[in-house]
Amino acid sequence: MRIALTGNPNSGKTTMYNALTGRNERIGNWAGVTVEKKESPIKKNFYGGAEELIAVDLPGAYSMSPFTSEESITSGYVKNEHPDAIINIVDATNLSRSLFFTTQLLELGIPMVVALNKSDINEKKGTKIDTEKLSSLLGCPVVATVSTSASGNGLTEVVRTAASLLGQHQQAPYHQGNISLNSKAEVEAADRKRFEFVNGIVAKVETRKVLTREKNTQDKIDDILTNKWLGIPIFAVVMFLVFDISQSTLGPAIADILVGWIEGFQGTVAGMVENSSPLLQALLVDGIIGGVGAVVGFLPLVMVMYFLISLLEDCGYMARVSVVLDPIFKKVGLSGKSVIPFVITTGCAIPGIMACRTIRNDRERKATAMLAPFMPCGAKLPVIALFAGVFFSNASWVGTLMYFAGILLIFLGALLVNKIAGYKNRKSFFIIELPEYKIPSLKRAFLSMCSRGWAYIVKAGTIILLCNTAVQIMQSFNWSFQLVEEGQESTSILASIASPFALLLIPLGFGAWQLAAAAVTGFIAKENVVGTLAVVYGITNFIDVDELVLVHGADQVAAVFGISTVAALAYLMFNLFTPPCFAAIGAMNSEIKDKKWLLGGICLQLGTGYTVAFLVYQIGTLLTTGSVGTGFVPGLIAVAAMVGIVIYLIKKTDASLAAEYALGAAAK
Amino acid sequence: MMDFILIAVILLIVAAAAGYVIKAKKSGAKCIGCPVEGGCCSHHQSHTGSCCHGCGGADSSRLKDK
Amino acid sequence: MNLTNAQEGKEYIIRAIETDDEEMDAFLFSLGCYTGEPITVISHLKGGCVVSIKDGRYNIDHQLASAILI
Repeated sequence: MRIALTGNPNSGKTTMYNALTGRNERIGNWAGVTVEKKESPIKKNFYGGAEELIAVDLPGAYSMSPFTSEESITSGYVKNEHPDAIINIVDATNLSRSLFFTTQLLELGIPMVVALNKSDINEKKGTKIDTEKLSSLLGCPVVATVSTSASGNGLTEVVRTAASLLGQHQQAPYHQGNISLNSKAEVEAADRKRFEFVNGIVAKVETRKVLTREKNTQDKIDDILTNKWLGIPIFAVVMFLVFDISQSTLGPAIADILVGWIEGFQGTVAGMVENSSPLLQALLVDGIIGGVGAVVGFLPLVMVMYFLISLLEDCGYMARVSVVLDPIFKKVGLSGKSVIPFVITTGCAIPGIMACRTIRNDRERKATAMLAPFMPCGAKLPVIALFAGVFFSNASWVGTLMYFAGILLIFLGALLVNKIAGYKNRKSFFIIELPEYKIPSLKRAFLSMCSRGWAYIVKAGTIILLCNTAVQIMQSFNWSFQLVEEGQESTSILASIASPFALLLIPLGFGAWQLAAAAVTGFIAKENVVGTLAVVYGITNFIDVDELVLVHGADQVAAVFGISTVAALAYLMFNLFTPPCFAAIGAMNSEIKDKKWLLGGICLQLGTGYTVAFLVYQIGTLLTTGSVGTGFVPGLIAVAAMVGIVIYLIKKTDASLAAEYALGAAAK
Repeated sequence: MMDFILIAVILLIVAAAAGYVIKAKKSGAKCIGCPVEGGCCSHHQSHTGSCCHGCGGADSSRLKDK
Repeated sequence: MNLTNAQEGKEYIIRAIETDDEEMDAFLFSLGCYTGEPITVISHLKGGCVVSIKDGRYNIDHQLASAILI
C-alpha cells in the first residue's frame, strides 16, 4: 500500500520521508527543495507488518489549485493516483495556513493522518496545540511529530495509524459544496469560507504566548543578514569561508593523508608488476591507478565543501540570500528565485537545473536553466584545486574568484539572453517564505557528505576509470596500431584526434594536444580533466604527502604543462565556463523543453568559455609581457565573429519587437 | 606469465567498471553514482506509478543501511 | 495606502490586492493573504519588505508590496 506525504512547502516532508525510508534525499530549510515525486519502501521497524508500505514523497503545496509545475504534481497525484492513505504533514508553527490544504485533502475521501510536525519549535515558543480537540474537529487522527530528531519523534505512531486506517473512507469536516469551478468569484467565496472554518478550528485548539507578528530575535538577525549594505558582503564572506576551508585549509590537510595511501598502493602495485610488459604496466599503474588516484585525491576537498554547503542549506540562510540578491537579479531579468538553482549548482549542476522548476515565469526559468552551469559544480572543484595548486601556490582566492566570475557571467549572460530573446517589460512579483533559523544538523550534513562522497568515488571508479584507460591506450598506439615510440608522442591516436581541437585553442594560449584532449574528456565528466592530464603528462601524484602542500613539485608540473601562468588561468576558466558535462546538458534539455533555447544555451556557453579564455590570456599576456600572446589575430576574428552574430540576433529581435509595437499601435 | 595475469586483471577492472555503467544506464540513471539522481530521471510525468530508479533495487539497499 | 508605506510592526487589514495576475492572486490567497485579513510589516528592506501573514514570514518585493492595499 502506498502512503503519500503531503503538506505545505518546508513543513518537513522529505525529512520525514528520509527518516521513514532510510533514504538520503535532498533536504533544505527553504520552500521548494523537493520538485519531484519520490517513492521508497518504509523501514519495517516502523510498523512491523507483513505488507509492504511505500512512502511517496511529494513536492510541497499550499493548496489543491497548483501554482507552479511542481505543485501540480502533488495535486495531480493525490487526485488521480489514489494513494491508500495520506500523511498530511502540518507545520505546527503555522497551523492557520496549513489547515487550509488539510481540509481540502480531507474532502478526497482517502484515509488521512495529520502529522503535527515541528512540535519542538512550538514547545520552545510556548505555543500549545490541543491535538485531541484538533483530531475531533478534523475527524482524523492527529499525531505530534518531530521528524528531525532520532527518537521519541512520533513517527512510529504516524505510520501505524496510517496503516490501521487502510480501506476506510475519510469523512470531511468541511465540504465546499457544489460550486462552479469556472467562476472566479464563487471559488473565492468558497475559499474564504474555508479559511473562516480553519480560523475557527485554530482559535479552539491553539494557545500562543508569542504572536508571530511581533518582531523577534530572528527578525533582528534578518535585519543584519539582509541589510542594504551588509547583505552582499556577508554573503561574499560566507562563500569565501566555504571555499577557503574546503580548498585551502581543512580539505588539503585530509587530502594529504588520502594521497599518501593512494601513492603507497600505487607503489606496491608497480613493484608487483615490475617484470611485465611496459605497456601493460603503464596501462595499469599510470592509466588506471594514476588517473583515478589523481581524481580521488581531491575527494576530501569536495567532501568538505559538500558538508559546509549542507550546513548552510539546513540553517535557513539560503532564503535570505535570495532576498539579498533579488534586487540585483531583477536588473537583468531574473529574480531571487534564480538564486536557489545557482546555489544548488555549486554541488552539482543537474539538481541545480532541475530546481529551476519552481520559477514560474517561462523565460526566466529557461534563462536560469541555461545560466546555472556557470556556477562551478563539485566536479569542477578538483580542476580548480589542481590549477590553483600548480600555478598559484594554492592561493584560496583562485577558487573564490572562479565562483564570483561565475556569478558575473550569469549576470552578463542574463543580459544577453534578455537582449536576444526580447525583454518584454513585465510585472514580476517575488515572494519567498522566510523559514525560521535553526541549528543545522551535523548528522544530516555528515550523511549528505558521505552519500555525495560515495557518488564521487563511484564516478571515479567507473566513468573516469574507463576514460583514463581509453586515453592511455589511445596515447600508446598510433593509427597503424603500433606502439608509439618515445619522442614520437604526437603521432599517437589521441594526439591526432586532439590536434585539430588544439589548433582552435592556440589563441587562448593552450594549443597543446594534451590540454585539448583533457578539455574534451571533460565533457563526459569534469573530473576527467584532472585524470586525463595526469595520464597524458604521466604525472602520478598531484598532491605531495611530505610537504603538506596540495600540489607536489608545482614548478615541475607547471614546466611539464609548458604553459604560462596566464595561459593556465585561461585554461582553467575555459574548462569551467564551457558547456557542462553531457548529463547536465541532458538536464537542461528536459527543463528547457525547447530545442531552440537549448541550442542557444549551449552556444552561449561555448562562446562564453572561448571568449573569457581569450580575453584572460591575451590581456593577461599583454600586461605581463607587454605584447599580445600567440594567435591574437585569428582569435580576435573568432571572437569578433561571435560578437557579430550576437549583435545580429539582437538587431533582429529589436526589429521584430519594433514591428510588434507598430502593429499594436496600428491596431489602436 | 606475468603479462597474462596483468591482462586478466586489467580486463577485469575495465569490465567491472563498464558493467556497472551499463547496468546503471539501463536502470535509467543519467549520471553514474549520483545520489540525487532519483529525482533527476523522471522528468516525463508519464512515468508516474513506476519508479524509474532505485525502488528496491541494489541502490536503495545500499543507502538503507545508513 | 499600500504596504510600501506601512509602519513597521503595526497590524493592518488588507483592503484590496491590485493585480491582473489571477494565479498570483490565488497563490497569495492560499497563503492567507486576501482582503479582510490582517498583515504586518516586520521590516522594510532595500528591494522589498518582510511581512507576517497568519503565522508565516515572507519576503515580498516592492512591486508586490505596492499592489497590496491596506
